[in-house]
Amino acid sequence: MPKLRHIAIAAEDPEAMAEFYKKAFDFVEVGRPNGALADGVFLSDGTLNMAILKFKTDQLGKGMDFRGIHHFGVLVEDVDEFTRKLDSLGAEHYIDQGHGGNQAGYFEKKFYGPEHILFDIAEHGWAGAEPLPEPVKEAAE
Amino acid sequence: MAKLRHLAIACKDPDAMAEFYVKAFDFEIVRSNDGPLAYGHHLSDGTIDLAILRFKSDQIGKGMDYTGLHHFGVLVDDLDAAAKQVAASGGKHYMDQSEPERVGGFETKMYGPEGILFDIAEHPWTGSAALPAKVKEAAE
Repeated sequence: MPKLRHIAIAAEDPEAMAEFYKKAFDFVEVGRPNGALADGVFLSDGTLNMAILKFKTDQLGKGMDFRGIHHFGVLVEDVDEFTRKLDSLGAEHYIDQGHGGNQAGYFEKKFYGPEHILFDIAEHGWAGAEPLPEPVKEAAE
Repeated sequence: MAKLRHLAIACKDPDAMAEFYVKAFDFEIVRSNDGPLAYGHHLSDGTIDLAILRFKSDQIGKGMDYTGLHHFGVLVDDLDAAAKQVAASGGKHYMDQSEPERVGGFETKMYGPEGILFDIAEHPWTGSAALPAKVKEAAE
């Protein structure tokens, strides 16, 4: 089963917000994304990646002043397979990002689901996020 | 370490949205309820509770028409100790669960920087994974 592995927050001051969650819950800093879409801090609780970001574009249509939880990400086994599935369910494809190099640890595809909720899918995982569990058969071997 | 175990979406039509995520990702509906704060469905991926809710009050100051990601929840070892740690870090208490015997949902809600709302609980959200230390204790 796919797994929720990423939560992104739109913040005015990612540095201060990240410090708060480190102190409040002992989350660990695992990266400093600095890209075309956003800058900020990646935290991890050992299972999920929590991205605290200052976005550079209005991905949600809520304006550049939007502050709050922005989108989530689902780790899947096969992005192409899930892309087809999401298309068939009426999700709207937004943008893609490449897999390797300095883009590793980020989203691979962004979609809008019902009511324009934005989510990512990825098969390589976010920085600090736990991989998908091994299939039961493989684990038993 | 505390664990992110809950993510809540505010929407107009929780039934349709829940059906989408069940079909899209094989998430399972583990609880549906119509409570004082919201109507909706709780889905699980086996680890995280994804709550798809129509809220009945404006908890985040964005108005009743707001749709989008709403809050998240953190599973902690000790609710009182965690609430104190959050407050000492600058978090502000919002509200507590009005039925303390009710577990499987939020126990305390707090605001972090920039008005971000989050829950803390020491009992796992329905369908979500326990803290690793608790799983180890239970096995021993």
